[in-house]
Amino acid sequence: MMKHLNIKTLALAGFLVLAAAGCKKSFLELAPVSNANVNAVFKTKQDFELSVNNAYSTLYTIYAPKGSMSFVGELMSDNVTVSTLAISGAFTIVDQQAFRDYSIATNNTGVYIFWVDHFTSLYQVNIVLDKIAGADLEDSYKKGVVAEMKFLRALYYFNLVRMFGDLPLVTTPIVGEEAYAMKRSPKEEVYKLIVSDLKEAAADLAEVGAEPAKGRATKGAAKSLLGKVYLTMGDKANAATVLKEVVESNKYDLLPDFQSLWGNTSANKNTKESIFEIQYLGGAANPYSQYWSAFAPFENFAITKYGGGMNMVTDDLFNEYEATDTRKDISFYTGYTKNGTFVPIKFNKKWVDLTAPLDGGAEACNNNFMVLRYADVLLMLSEATGDAQYLNKVRARVGLPLFGTAGYPSAYPTLDLAIEHERRMELALEFHRWFDLKRTNRAVPVLMAKGKPVTEAKLLLPVPQFALNQNPNLQPQNPGY
Amino acid sequence: MKLNACLVTSLLLSQILLFSSRDALIAQPAANSQAPKKQIKVAGKVTDTKGAPLAGVSVQVKGGKVVAVTSDDGSFAAAAEEGNILQFSSQGYGIYESPVKDGGYLVKLDIDSKSLDDVIVVGYGTQKKRAVTGSVASVGYDQFKDRAYSNVAQSLEGAIAGVNISSSQGAPGFGPTIKIRGTSSITAGTTPLFVVDGVALENFDLNQINPQDIQSVDILKDAASSAIYGSRGANGVIIITTRLGKAGKAMVNVTYEHGISKVNRKVDMMDAQQWIKYYIDARNNAWVLLDPVNNKASDDNTKRSTVSGAKNYMIPPDFISNPGQFGKGSDWQDVMFKTAHSNNMMVSMSGGTDRTNYLFSVGYLDQDAVLMNNFYKRLSIRTNIRQKISEKVTAGLNLALTGTHDRTDGTTGKSDVVSLGIQSDPIFPEYNENGNIGFLDPNSAWSRFQTYGVQLWNPHSLVTYADKLNKNMNTLANGYLEYKPINELTIRGSLSGNLTNNAYNWYWVSGQGYGYSSVLPAQATARNLSAFNWQAEATAAYDKTFGDHKIGVIIGYSAQKQRFDSSTINAASFPNDLVRTVNAAGVVTKPAAGNGAGEWSLLSMLGRVSYGYKNKYFLNATLRRDGSSRFGANTQWGTFPSVSGAWLISDEGFMQNSKAITNLKLRVSYGQTGNNLIPNYGSVSLLSGSRYVNGSNVVNGLRPISIANPNLKWEKTDQYNIGIDVALFKNRVNITADAYKSLTKDMLLNVPVPAYTGFTSQLTNIGEMENKGIELTISTKNLVKKSFNWSTDFNISLNRNKVLQLGPNNTPIDIDEWGRFVTEVGQPVSNYYGYKFNGVYNNQAQVDNSVHYLGAAPGDPIIQDLNGDKVISTKDMTILGNSQPDFTAGITNTVSYKGFEFSFMLQGIFGYEIWNQQTRFSKFWNDSRNSYASSANYWKSEQEPGDGKTFKPYATFPSTALGKGAFITGYSDYWMEDGSFVRIKNVRLSYVIPQALVKKTPVKNARIYMNAENLHVFSKYVGFDPQNSTYSVGTSSSPGANGGASTTPPGLMLGADYGSYPIPFMLTVGIKCDF
Repeated sequence: MMKHLNIKTLALAGFLVLAAAGCKKSFLELAPVSNANVNAVFKTKQDFELSVNNAYSTLYTIYAPKGSMSFVGELMSDNVTVSTLAISGAFTIVDQQAFRDYSIATNNTGVYIFWVDHFTSLYQVNIVLDKIAGADLEDSYKKGVVAEMKFLRALYYFNLVRMFGDLPLVTTPIVGEEAYAMKRSPKEEVYKLIVSDLKEAAADLAEVGAEPAKGRATKGAAKSLLGKVYLTMGDKANAATVLKEVVESNKYDLLPDFQSLWGNTSANKNTKESIFEIQYLGGAANPYSQYWSAFAPFENFAITKYGGGMNMVTDDLFNEYEATDTRKDISFYTGYTKNGTFVPIKFNKKWVDLTAPLDGGAEACNNNFMVLRYADVLLMLSEATGDAQYLNKVRARVGLPLFGTAGYPSAYPTLDLAIEHERRMELALEFHRWFDLKRTNRAVPVLMAKGKPVTEAKLLLPVPQFALNQNPNLQPQNPGY
Repeated sequence: MKLNACLVTSLLLSQILLFSSRDALIAQPAANSQAPKKQIKVAGKVTDTKGAPLAGVSVQVKGGKVVAVTSDDGSFAAAAEEGNILQFSSQGYGIYESPVKDGGYLVKLDIDSKSLDDVIVVGYGTQKKRAVTGSVASVGYDQFKDRAYSNVAQSLEGAIAGVNISSSQGAPGFGPTIKIRGTSSITAGTTPLFVVDGVALENFDLNQINPQDIQSVDILKDAASSAIYGSRGANGVIIITTRLGKAGKAMVNVTYEHGISKVNRKVDMMDAQQWIKYYIDARNNAWVLLDPVNNKASDDNTKRSTVSGAKNYMIPPDFISNPGQFGKGSDWQDVMFKTAHSNNMMVSMSGGTDRTNYLFSVGYLDQDAVLMNNFYKRLSIRTNIRQKISEKVTAGLNLALTGTHDRTDGTTGKSDVVSLGIQSDPIFPEYNENGNIGFLDPNSAWSRFQTYGVQLWNPHSLVTYADKLNKNMNTLANGYLEYKPINELTIRGSLSGNLTNNAYNWYWVSGQGYGYSSVLPAQATARNLSAFNWQAEATAAYDKTFGDHKIGVIIGYSAQKQRFDSSTINAASFPNDLVRTVNAAGVVTKPAAGNGAGEWSLLSMLGRVSYGYKNKYFLNATLRRDGSSRFGANTQWGTFPSVSGAWLISDEGFMQNSKAITNLKLRVSYGQTGNNLIPNYGSVSLLSGSRYVNGSNVVNGLRPISIANPNLKWEKTDQYNIGIDVALFKNRVNITADAYKSLTKDMLLNVPVPAYTGFTSQLTNIGEMENKGIELTISTKNLVKKSFNWSTDFNISLNRNKVLQLGPNNTPIDIDEWGRFVTEVGQPVSNYYGYKFNGVYNNQAQVDNSVHYLGAAPGDPIIQDLNGDKVISTKDMTILGNSQPDFTAGITNTVSYKGFEFSFMLQGIFGYEIWNQQTRFSKFWNDSRNSYASSANYWKSEQEPGDGKTFKPYATFPSTALGKGAFITGYSDYWMEDGSFVRIKNVRLSYVIPQALVKKTPVKNARIYMNAENLHVFSKYVGFDPQNSTYSVGTSSSPGANGGASTTPPGLMLGADYGSYPIPFMLTVGIKCDF
């Protein structure tokens, strides 16, 4: 009896163990239900379309109204101030105002956020470059995607190198030990990568009009950016060559009316003057733009639902406009009316969207944002060539006296000063001013003269202390911090 | 699917095997049968040692069937065979054995022998208390039967050493935080595993089980005991065993309770007169600070209205001309809170024969909350059946259905009704002259305050002007089949399922009666969650005694899988308030997260060997192997061993003559357990959607949101335990003491990684943490008389927690969320960080003679220059405190006299701090909110310095004084308060109605009782309750389809109170009748 039993029992136990062994592999391998995972994508053309769209969507972060380019490009200059009083999260008003006042501590939250924003965006670009190399897709398609990604990579590294100087140069996804061993490469090497990426992009990208969709990088965009990079490197000859190619391509032109560059209609988007433009779509359910609400006076509760108080226009900028310069009224409001009372404060009018629907407390605006436009190219070309004719095209559009003619303001006797003035007037609030002053070595004299406590050392941001702590190989810190 | 089929097949096959062998087995006794023995009639009476008759004692032939159950007077009559041995047993008493003999018995069951012969439920089985080698706390039904809580864990608060159960919010149905032996994890959860009738359930809501249906709660505290639950044992295990009827006549039990609860510890806030003065001073101080040269406190609104941000400086004329018109104003707590009633009705029927045991139980609880319009209702239905199919085969099914329906507001802290209500300004009435509830009503005279920056969130605006319903259905079913081919071997297969459905609907009425801070359009949310969990298990247990040797072996195999699905819809743009479901909305949006599904699965093999020698030396060894879908591809399986031993020293010869010591036992154990509460898909690199616009079309993108970690695994805890059980003076004094030390390794952390990897953090097994502690429980019977008894139960425990390793560079985890919660190496988890305030500057000389921050003035706080660098900076922030107590204790005295029983329980937690986040709104000036009455003692002038601790209010800090403002309102010990408290936790009085009175009724026994919970708290805490904590432990693997890591690890903000729900006083009267 006992024997019989034990056999049965053993059979049962044995069966269970076998069943377990037979089942266990598939039973424990559960793929995520509600998220795709990396193992399953980066195979088809459709996968790469999604990844490319995602890479472009990082522009929303980098060029956000309260993002890195806004804080550095405008707030560090003499164009604007910030009136945000709300202490929002870790990026406090003290940390925000530090950009305006050059009192940026190494643990400034904004600095860390901008560092992270750029590098995490670079990853979204690099992973496409990494994965497409081995993808089984037609070469022409791969070449196009590579060119677009290299354009974005160059743009982000160009932003980074201008903000931080020497950088950890990451061109492929890296993890673990490799990440902790990373050192900063001298900025010359960073520029080398930027130039080679842009050259490749310029060669392989489509001309404007033939690009896969509006907003995608084009040959003209790559060349315009390369021109700016050369100028920043001090290489005016190469800048002139490449910028002339843009002009001579005849693909772009100034719009006859400065006003028609701005506004919330589709007619204001992707115009003949636009070279590289971030695409938004108004409406609560869409990826909408927020420049209008962020650049409105803080908690005005009148012109916008709340108002972000970012980039409030200084009198210094406002007063530099020549009396007959129509761009002043097109670019700025001088106040708003609340409960029948006029509240005087100068703020942005370029990205105005008075009919934007609300998404909660924010206006869901329809304005695009131009990273590169033809007026910028013309002014750069004057800078590169020393030829005032391009500058004068920009002035002619708004009916101002041309440089070198009698009516031209005497305050800007040299072409360099004229370009500096014109760029400030034409491109106000478009995240250029600080970089322009830096490029022309004018930041310290210009800003000091206005009582701003800037020094040579403050022209670079500190490497975030947190990043240095994480990886001491990134030492040394930028001088002056 | 493949696996499901696989398992079901294997289970079916195993049962077929069982049944196919059954016929042969049933025939077995017949083969061995001999001539029948002589039947003898036996009868007698069973009493306890004091001679009181014991009803319901089962009389069983040893190794055979139950032949009788004693009646109310303790008597029984039965027939048995000559040579048999009769066993008399009852829960809570010892077992008495006697050979069958003719004539009368007088059996005395000894309640005192309970300590060693009681049966304790351990993982996958039971053990006599004598043989237990680990650290297990066992709580029987008697210890919580009269308590009024819907959740059995709340009834155990403060009663068990080493088990920290804390009701962090007082809403009915709100589950307490349970931590066993300290904090053993930062990122994974710290919630213990619940095992309900053998079904292992993670994050189970104990409200789903009616406490009246529970036979016992057994808490496995040490790793040796919980290691048999392997990768889920590290936070301890709570085993719930539900009741089953005893053989004998059916017992019908009817219970009715009525309860009253109220908030008896209100927060003392300023009244209208105090607040108006505070308001005026805050504005004047800010006005002068704006331009100290030209501005004077006496300037009128005409001058003040010209500056930017004028609303921060202007003062309503009423406040100056006629403040008296506001009287004391509204006490918003009186508006919010009310005396609440509850009714609880329970009926159960239990009983059985020698082959069948059953329990049918129905309970309905209808509990109003102290917060207006809030309630909690629960219907619980249970049927437990166990049927002996043959001598060898037994089958059973436990089936429980619980439905809850509640409306609960006020538990989410900031922005919820309790927090907002107390900040509302007292000048406003509950209703304005139009019957609306706010000053935003344009037709109300109160609207004149709209220009002056005042604050009102009338509690009605969130509760009366919002519909909110939460319905939950939980079905827990567990079927099993046991087969005993021979006496020593039990083979058991079980299959169980737990199905949970939750529906939540919220609708906020358009305009909120003008009572919210702004007039908002209607909004709605609809959420549905469902989860299904199944578990299939097979075990074989073998027990055999050879002479002095007793051996027990159990092996088992288990498979479990859970899937959950959730969906949430937010809606807006309702045409009117007539239809309040999302279908009527003009705009419907899905939130970014919260929709989706997730799964996990677990496969396990387990085993235990127990060995006892001479019934005084005991050894246990367990081993479990777990494979989990949550773990990375390279680390899918883990092994969790334990060994433990016990020595009953008092049974040694040399101890036999000891008069004082009746029992002395030494226990030693070691075990390794895991914590698998990690995200379901933490090891996989996940992608999430992103969007861009191609010209005019929105196009989709796909973005990697986490890094793959194929090495991701459970957290591993090694724990050593040494314990001693002592019984002195004939069991009059029982002492249990345990000391433990545990080390958690491979602790899961969201380790910061360099941003150029594309991510800022990665889930990695890297941290280490240590917990060590001591637990002491002393139970004494101070007086044992025939009709008068007095006993005392005391417990005290302490735990010390220390982080040993964090991340690659030991970078502290620094959470800044209205407080700095810093976890760093060498310190307990989550210290509070900030400045040290050293009173208030009383005059300019004091400012000038000290190291001070820029702009410091008389009336501003003195900040200590802790690092001595002669500059006040963020470098002067330091460790201020921690939410983990130095020790916790509880003491219960129980006195009984005849039919009366009176018990009185005190609970105390000592040496911990509360981070009062409400400080931001209620302890210093913040945008015109009302404040604590104690803050009215602020510095007014050198002559009126106030309490010397409260600095003067500023309505705003102009941009030139922002730096100063950052110091004054920054995190400091001003935000922190001593949490230590003593609570009169529970007082109970019960009375058994004498038999003489119930004799003529159908009622067999009747008992009435009164139970009072939370009578008083002795505490200096300014908030509602020192045990309030707004943040729960949570778990990173709990709902949320997105497997990505959460940013604030659960549990790191424990001890922070952001306006939590008060814990009410509750008085219940009840009557229990047996029929």
